[in-house]
Amino acid sequence: MQKIAIRLAAAALLSTGLGTPVPAQTLSYADAVTQLADACGRDIKTLCKGLNLGNGRIYGCLQDRSAEVSQGCKTSLAGVLQSIAQREHAQASYKQLCRRDAIKSCGGIKGDGFVLACLAKKERRVSEECNQAITDAGWR
Amino acid sequence: MAVSVSKMALLLAGGIFSCSVAFAQDVSQERIIKGLGKLTAAAPAIDVVILQQEAVNSGGKPMSALPNWKKIAKLPQMVVEINFENDSIAIEPRSYRTLGMIADALHHPNLWDYRFLVVGHASSTGGEKHNLELSGQRADAIKEALSTTFAVDPARLFAVGVGEYLPIEGVKADASNNRRVQLINLGVFKSKS
Repeated sequence: MQKIAIRLAAAALLSTGLGTPVPAQTLSYADAVTQLADACGRDIKTLCKGLNLGNGRIYGCLQDRSAEVSQGCKTSLAGVLQSIAQREHAQASYKQLCRRDAIKSCGGIKGDGFVLACLAKKERRVSEECNQAITDAGWR
Repeated sequence: MAVSVSKMALLLAGGIFSCSVAFAQDVSQERIIKGLGKLTAAAPAIDVVILQQEAVNSGGKPMSALPNWKKIAKLPQMVVEINFENDSIAIEPRSYRTLGMIADALHHPNLWDYRFLVVGHASSTGGEKHNLELSGQRADAIKEALSTTFAVDPARLFAVGVGEYLPIEGVKADASNNRRVQLINLGVFKSKS
């Protein structure tokens, strides 16, 4: 109950733009590349024509041609990279952060997918750090 | 070529009891996870070189009539399209989202223990040999994007091109939806520690 109250307070702060900035929800890869395709699609087509996604080629090209890249693309790229890094970190640290909760609240359940489903269901009994990892990992 | 943009589709395969092929344009991460997460029996050992040879020598037989492909053809499947620039391995930016969705699904705990085979196809437009090469390069391009930009462990991904040799059953060989890539669940890679 307390957690819900905190969340509502945080949401209120966010909506009014007051208080310390609360980290926004991390982006999925799908949303991240969609934002990039929208914000940088034109730059990619003109400045990086023929380059394929993968191995940092497009990112490298946008860096190399930085002077010609639109401001919108630069802003979007920085935000997207930060969000993706946060999500990847959450996914990588999930097992460790949720280990105790998995044993305590979901003991005996086999399979990573089922354990996650159990932890997500028992959100109120699960530790703050585990809940945060699941949220940041994009698994809610 | 008559079309300016080549399309490929990813065929996603998971369990072993259904063999229906569903085309899904508006695919979601959840659907991919559900479609791929039903592998209940051990998947067959595969060798991409053997699979490619079998496809090249198939003599027009469908996938389900070839000994090695047959094991894979039984898996439940889901098709999504990936658009490429014409006669190129460059993925169109408008298809980035689809790849991102697949990556999100492969990073989910329901699927993160599994290996996947990316199978590139081509329509019968253009030369056979060229189509075989292009489909292989496109499958490789998808594997590369998934394993670098989208941080999927490359050891979980295999890629093979079969050109126009294994057209989708019930679809004309020159139909554009034969330009597709299949993604097939090959079973457990290793237990995450």
